[in-house]
Amino acid sequence: MSDKDVTLRVDNVTKRFGDFTAVDALCLEVRAGRVFGFLGPNGAGKTTTIRMIVGITAPDEGRIDFFGERMSARMQDRIGYLPEERGLYKKLRVADQLRYFAALKGLTGKEAERRIDRWLERMNLSEWKEKKTTDLSKGMQQKIQFISTVLHDPDLLILDEPFSGLDPVNVEFMIDVLSEFKQRDKTVIFSTHLMETAERLCHDIILINKSKKVIGGSLREVKESFGRNLIALRAVGGEEVLEDKTLVKSVAYHADEAEIEIADGADAQNILKKLVGSGAKITKFEQVEPSLNDIFIDQVGGEQ
Amino acid sequence: MKKFRAVVKHEYRKIVLKWTFLLGTLLFPVIGACFALVPAFIFSIKGEPTRIVIVDPTNKIGMRIRENLAPEKIAARTDQAVRDAVKDMPATQPGQINQSPMQGDASFVFIDYDPAGRTPEKIRQDLNEMAAANKIDAYLITPQSIDDYDAKFEFRSRKAGDFVAGNILRDAINDAVRSQRLADANINEKSVMELSRRVSIDSKSLDDRGREKDSDMLLAASFVIGLMIYITLAIYGQVIMGAVVEEKETRIAEILFSSARPYELMLGKLVGVGLAGLTQLSIWVISIAALIGFLAVQSDVTSLFGGMPHISPIMVGYFLLFFLLGYFAYASIFALIGSVVTTVQEGGQFAFPPVMLMLIGFYFSFAVIRDPNSSLSFWVSISPFFAPMTMPVRILAETPPLWQIALSVGINILTIAALVWLASRVYRVGMLMYGKRATVPEIWKWIRQV
Repeated sequence: MSDKDVTLRVDNVTKRFGDFTAVDALCLEVRAGRVFGFLGPNGAGKTTTIRMIVGITAPDEGRIDFFGERMSARMQDRIGYLPEERGLYKKLRVADQLRYFAALKGLTGKEAERRIDRWLERMNLSEWKEKKTTDLSKGMQQKIQFISTVLHDPDLLILDEPFSGLDPVNVEFMIDVLSEFKQRDKTVIFSTHLMETAERLCHDIILINKSKKVIGGSLREVKESFGRNLIALRAVGGEEVLEDKTLVKSVAYHADEAEIEIADGADAQNILKKLVGSGAKITKFEQVEPSLNDIFIDQVGGEQ
Repeated sequence: MKKFRAVVKHEYRKIVLKWTFLLGTLLFPVIGACFALVPAFIFSIKGEPTRIVIVDPTNKIGMRIRENLAPEKIAARTDQAVRDAVKDMPATQPGQINQSPMQGDASFVFIDYDPAGRTPEKIRQDLNEMAAANKIDAYLITPQSIDDYDAKFEFRSRKAGDFVAGNILRDAINDAVRSQRLADANINEKSVMELSRRVSIDSKSLDDRGREKDSDMLLAASFVIGLMIYITLAIYGQVIMGAVVEEKETRIAEILFSSARPYELMLGKLVGVGLAGLTQLSIWVISIAALIGFLAVQSDVTSLFGGMPHISPIMVGYFLLFFLLGYFAYASIFALIGSVVTTVQEGGQFAFPPVMLMLIGFYFSFAVIRDPNSSLSFWVSISPFFAPMTMPVRILAETPPLWQIALSVGINILTIAALVWLASRVYRVGMLMYGKRATVPEIWKWIRQV
């Protein structure tokens, strides 16, 4: 991986508030054209890290490089940031809000107007252009906030809990927009504690807890490193195979399924062969990966 | 710089393009006029006539009092009071309130009661009963001899709070007693009136080049200017605070801070709202100038008001300059408060100290009107926070030396620089602190933070 592909590099960054260390020697790399999941429980330091990335606060130690350059106010125009707690001016019309947010990112004039119209149309909000925020439903407001994040066509999109409170239709819609960004080789970072969404969207993840990185890497790598080697089995017979301690470490029986943990050094293929050989009637045999949710609970939940 | 301009434009348009701005601009002169006219109007409403019994054992003084309470006499007196009030109106607001009852009107209906052959105790008892039965409102018992030192007029009224009628009655008694004493001493009342007639004083102040200036209207103009600056500062200071709190409350600050530097945002906000205030003030100044011009053409009105003071364009320039100095000083305090509190309501409570400062400055402007050359006037007109209200008044009243104006401007610019620096440091941190109001030690920590 060449340096050119790295959109963002956070290098040994620490941030303290008084005696409290909110982010402790954090390192991460985000590559272009990929969706990066920033995971962790509440209070882990996600928002603090994101604020440093977008230049709202400066790290106490370490450095943040953006496209190979140290992060500065000048780079802010290339980032689109949707904070977790977000708002709009209550008494301002939609078009005026979008114009202002665009102007703050250096986008003005006809180009701004053109993009505002295009996005509103895409979001089915064209007829709301001259309405005030107070006239809009919550969902509409969220769409407007999203438009204001992407209007200046940023190279890096940072979304803090973007799906909270969105209805399923809008979630799908947003995911569409994200994949479009991805295809154009732009980078997306999003923080969430919805593991299912993260699992579905992210190429790479980092999990932080108590200000520190717990695990990180591509989704595949992370899952493999957590290979707890589980098998979901639905079968009649074959009990003697399951009792063989050289093959099976433990069995947990659920309603109509058994969850089998493979013994160290054993192999799923071998177990399947033995089962078939024992004459068991198998209707389901699935090698189960730990879900991100399992990993999250395993890494974070156990300590709480 | 581009972003700074975007913020300025946004803040300016947000205020000026709203219909409330237009309404406020039009309404302020109307409200101002109401403040001046409503008390006078209310006092001019006639109460019910007071039904009064005058018991006069001597049968002399009672007649005179009755004469003095005749409707023509009361009307003449009211007329004189109104004329006096117009003359002194601007200089003494509290004085005007005292005069208002004199401008008020009241009438009396005399009820006959024959005290012949009754003891004083019986008379009082009778009259008290009549009052209780709502046949009379008041009674007056004159003393046996008005020349005694302990001579007392006994006035009892069911409407003790009616100070308008009370005032008129007191004057009527005093006038009657004086006339009676003059008559008793065989002195012609007419010639005494003639001898003690007051002369009218034509008062004009001199400017620094020894030219005459009309002082009456000068005072009026000074008052109006002080008031206008005070009100505009108060309004736009609160606007700033509201705007800051809104951005904090709605978490827009987070988006803003990820797009531009905090001091760019804060300064842009101060300048944008300030320009809106300047726009409004300019509209007022221009319309007042136009009104004065119009009144000057109507010669009869000018004669009543004794001529308008000469206000040169350079004075208008100073006036707007000092408005801006005051605006930036107070607005940065309001911005600081806004970034520390969590809701507009909470901000309202903490807005008290700067509003108090403004009000003190406004009151100091009266001291400056009375004596623009005093050392008090000098100190308040160069001090921070007070200069914006007092210096324009002083410039209008006597045109202080240029070095004093320059000193005042310099001191105020330094104050503004310090306040803006302070406010932007607090703003930077405070805007991202949600949930609770910051304590003073916390704020101090934010200021010292690099």
